[in-house]
Amino acid sequence: MRTASELTQGESATIIDIDNQHPSAKRLIELGFTPGQQIQLVGKSFFNDPLAFSVRGTVIAVRKSEAACLKVR
Amino acid sequence: MKIITLVGAPNSGKTTLFNYLSGQNYKTVNYPGATVEYHAANLQKRFGLEAMLLDTPGIISLVPTSKDEEVTIKGIYSHPHYGAPDLVIATMDASQLSRHLLLAMELKQANFDLVIALTMVDILERKGFEIDIDKLQKILGVPIIKIDGRSGEGVDELISVAKRKLETNNKNLYDIKIIEENNQELLNLYKEIEKIEAEVIRPKKRGFAGSYKNILHKPDELTIKIDKILLSKGWGFLIFFLAMLFFFSSVFWLASPLMDLVDMFFGWLGNFTKEILGHGLISDLISDGIISGLGAVSVFVPQILILFLILGLLEDSGYLARGAMLIDRPLRKIGLNGRSFVPMVSGFACAIPAIMAARTIPNAKERLLTIFIIPLISCSARIPVYALLIAYLVPPENYLLSGLILTIIYIFSITISLTVAGIINKFRDKVIRETDNSTFILELPTYRLPKLRVTLSNMWTSTKVYVKGAGPIILTFSIILWALTYFPNYNPQLDKTQIDAAKYENAVQIERINGSYAADLGKIFEPVMKPMGLDWRVGVAILTSFAAREVFVSSMALMFKATEVDENSVQSSIIHSMKLAKNEDGSPMFTTSSIIGLILFFIIALQCVSTMAITKRETGGWRIPVLQFVLYSGGAYILSVIVVNSLRFFGVA
Repeated sequence: MRTASELTQGESATIIDIDNQHPSAKRLIELGFTPGQQIQLVGKSFFNDPLAFSVRGTVIAVRKSEAACLKVR
Repeated sequence: MKIITLVGAPNSGKTTLFNYLSGQNYKTVNYPGATVEYHAANLQKRFGLEAMLLDTPGIISLVPTSKDEEVTIKGIYSHPHYGAPDLVIATMDASQLSRHLLLAMELKQANFDLVIALTMVDILERKGFEIDIDKLQKILGVPIIKIDGRSGEGVDELISVAKRKLETNNKNLYDIKIIEENNQELLNLYKEIEKIEAEVIRPKKRGFAGSYKNILHKPDELTIKIDKILLSKGWGFLIFFLAMLFFFSSVFWLASPLMDLVDMFFGWLGNFTKEILGHGLISDLISDGIISGLGAVSVFVPQILILFLILGLLEDSGYLARGAMLIDRPLRKIGLNGRSFVPMVSGFACAIPAIMAARTIPNAKERLLTIFIIPLISCSARIPVYALLIAYLVPPENYLLSGLILTIIYIFSITISLTVAGIINKFRDKVIRETDNSTFILELPTYRLPKLRVTLSNMWTSTKVYVKGAGPIILTFSIILWALTYFPNYNPQLDKTQIDAAKYENAVQIERINGSYAADLGKIFEPVMKPMGLDWRVGVAILTSFAAREVFVSSMALMFKATEVDENSVQSSIIHSMKLAKNEDGSPMFTTSSIIGLILFFIIALQCVSTMAITKRETGGWRIPVLQFVLYSGGAYILSVIVVNSLRFFGVA
């Protein structure tokens, strides 16, 4: 299964599950990263980390390690 | 007085509304013992409602994730100064409804008496959607008023609703609940939110119901396009680099003529005072103590104004959040965070606003580590010192070489601060004593043209905070240091027949300083200064630089011009007098090696009382500032002694 951290530039995907064990899971949910939501990788820092995702009408930068708790399809 | 607390997510238009309601006439209050900042203001008279307005830091939910959020949320429930709110006004961005409903619904669950100010409805409409406010009011059971915080549209209605609520409610009757939610409950809440969203937001035109959610949840297209360039590898890096270059060059070169003007003004004012009052204790106190102290505070104001202006423009445009994102990874390697970026950059102007800016770092460990290394970043107060010392090493006409040395100094200073961050990070359990989950989740706001009026007024407010915070400390210390160099032998009697009139004042100054408490103190330091190849006079100059580093230059001038009088010229420059200075054994005191040693000392040493005072306030105790002082000043001294003596060993004079 892929995670949001593995998306390529410009790729869209739908969140299907969230790793609740991850300490950042709660904050990501609060910001609108919920199962069923479509997200898109819209940008990367020049060190490929953090990543910028479009979600629910805004863009949110998230570290790769934190984006890894979002399972996508 | 009734308390109205403003609550809202970041970028929900909360601050704009607060500024409109308060007329930007607010004071900043801290949550006691923490660095969480609140703005408090009386509602402007023209609204006809007497109430205290409290602006809280932007939050995403009522369930805290970090320590600072915990404090912020506690402050919403009951602020230690102002108590529990009589009414909460929550700002909610209509174009971000599904995300911003979360906080509004939590506030409702917590049982606050709530009014919602719905912002950015125009953005939603431009996307081709409309919102049914009546329906949303019914579903939530909370009055919702559409407002525009910039034009003020709808604010009067908001106030009249607030007034009605305040007249009838009684906060003591409310049973305010603390909200606790696990992830599953959050997800359920979001499901409910999505249902609400589908009911109240619909496309203006019928017929494209199928994919409307994708359009509704599409970020600003222009922003995405700009980010494609600004976050790209090639251009993104180049633009980031150029933006930083622009930032530094403006802070230094734009400010320097203004700083010269301020400096000249206070110099003139001091002389003018002396001319009017004549020579004497009071006149010297006013001109050399108070006026030069005020000068030391004011000389940095132009630079700090420009710093805040450019930072404000970068922030309002939306670029600063991108900058933090771009730099997060390298900073993480040494235990910092992308959010350490702004405080560190501000540190090149002055450590005081830089340390205050570290408040925006949510993680306590990373915030403390950022504060820990800020004094190592070469602030602008060191520039006059570097300029003097470099001028001694190479003739000032040689711009290229002087510039090169200054560049090397800056690169060295950056390297040192990053290295120290890395080292301290290794020992963080002992030094920082805070652990926190390191995280970087940051909303990248939509790009927009900054509103100059708002930016200017924020610049003014931030500068006022600096002057009020650091001003009294710098002024007090410059008066104390003046007194140390002035007493007890403040009125030395000299034989006027032996000295010609032109040199009389100078001779009095020599006598006064030689017999002063500062000289006594300096002589205690003599054994300490010797290994650096220097004597007590430099020791005194370093001592006075604790008020503000650039005071070192005027102290050196005072000490050496007064003690090294050239028989051949009345007007001797400070460099010239330094060249005459000799050690006890008759060898010249200022040589290449001792000057390099002094430069090194100034790069590393923590010798700014105001910085220590601000650090104490921001870290909640003396432990960190004292540790910094011992580490940096001690380390600077040891390094300087080693370098001076190695250079001499290898034959560099």
